[in-house]
Amino acid sequence: MSEEGKISIGLISCSGEACPGGTISRLATQKVLRSIRPGYNFVTICLPLFMAGGEEERHFARHYPTITIDGCEKCCALKATEVLSGPVSGKVVVTDLIAGEKLGEGTLATRELTAEQKAMVDQVAAAILEQVDKINREG
Amino acid sequence: MAAKYVILPCNGLDKEAGCLARELALKMAAATGSEIICPVLYQTAPSRYAPLLREGSLVVIDGCATRCASRIAANNDLKIYRKITMAEEAKKRDYNPGPDWRVGAGAAAFVEDVWRSWQPVLREQEAGRAPGENAGLFAGPLEYAIHRHDKFIFRVPLEGFYFNENDCWVQVQGNRGRVGISDYLQQNLSDITFVTPPDPGTEVEQFGEMGTIESAKAVYELVSPVTGRVVAINEAILEAPELINENPYEKGWIAELELTNFEADREFLLDGRRYLEVLKEKVADFNAGK
Repeated sequence: MSEEGKISIGLISCSGEACPGGTISRLATQKVLRSIRPGYNFVTICLPLFMAGGEEERHFARHYPTITIDGCEKCCALKATEVLSGPVSGKVVVTDLIAGEKLGEGTLATRELTAEQKAMVDQVAAAILEQVDKINREG
Repeated sequence: MAAKYVILPCNGLDKEAGCLARELALKMAAATGSEIICPVLYQTAPSRYAPLLREGSLVVIDGCATRCASRIAANNDLKIYRKITMAEEAKKRDYNPGPDWRVGAGAAAFVEDVWRSWQPVLREQEAGRAPGENAGLFAGPLEYAIHRHDKFIFRVPLEGFYFNENDCWVQVQGNRGRVGISDYLQQNLSDITFVTPPDPGTEVEQFGEMGTIESAKAVYELVSPVTGRVVAINEAILEAPELINENPYEKGWIAELELTNFEADREFLLDGRRYLEVLKEKVADFNAGK
């Protein structure tokens, strides 16, 4: 629990340079972070720092419920978290939700999203919030 | 501009600076036909990027002062051509990264301005010699002698390095010499914050000035151990002077000279073993408060 009795939940997003799903996962994570959910305190964990040796980030993911958000089936965020901090409490993989051909190829600039891609962001954000609710239900 | 770079951005999510680093990486990649390395994928599958790193010059873009991208590059012994830190660029421009991670119009203009200011710097590569040229000429020391005193450990390379009594060294290969400062001096100076190396083309005399080093304690005038013309400087220390603290004999070298009179210069220099004895005396004198 964090300040004001809120449940602290960590969000670890794919970094998003190797696949367009990465950008979708970044934006969806940001959207969840900005969402107002009474009772929750969302904490981002910077994945590059986490992997480069950030002890505070690793400690948080070890001791608080954490959800990984991955852009593709490589699941860098999930694998790194499991190796460096232990099992995650929830996971979202963009390519499990959206077919690869719809996502396209190459790096996606955040400021050039189509309406369809914005809808993908909403879809992934909703999937993250489902995981949040699951954590709450399961205590 | 059509130079090809390999860009390693921090692209962290939890600070706007990280998002700005990513935006700059995207802009640079689009403008120069360069490739971006995903810092996360690089750590899980480094071989994927090995061909790119062999071909292109590495530009590292850090977001905040944690400098994760630089850390990743250092951990993997990557040779950095240029390093950009968005937090520092923001400071120069009085731009305050806001709490919102969305890259709005203000942030976009800021990134555009950073990119505009870096273009001429990157163009230098096209005009100058390829980065890394001569990198293999000066291999690091094979062996260090160690002198311990209290909690301090001083290292001196025994072979291939010559020192003056001002604690500056030269490593000689043919008619080229690479110069820097000793481990003893860097520890005395403590955290080095700024380096002003001599300009390329400068003619330097033995025992003449070859730039300055600034630390939290003092500004130190470097005394050249050799005579020659400066043909290159270690640009990495301009962005990361702490490299001198990390290892003054390898990544922390300062300048490279074309030597003009080394046989005569050597008469006034100490080899590693003799310098080690001088160093021990200096440490003892310092301890005795002389």
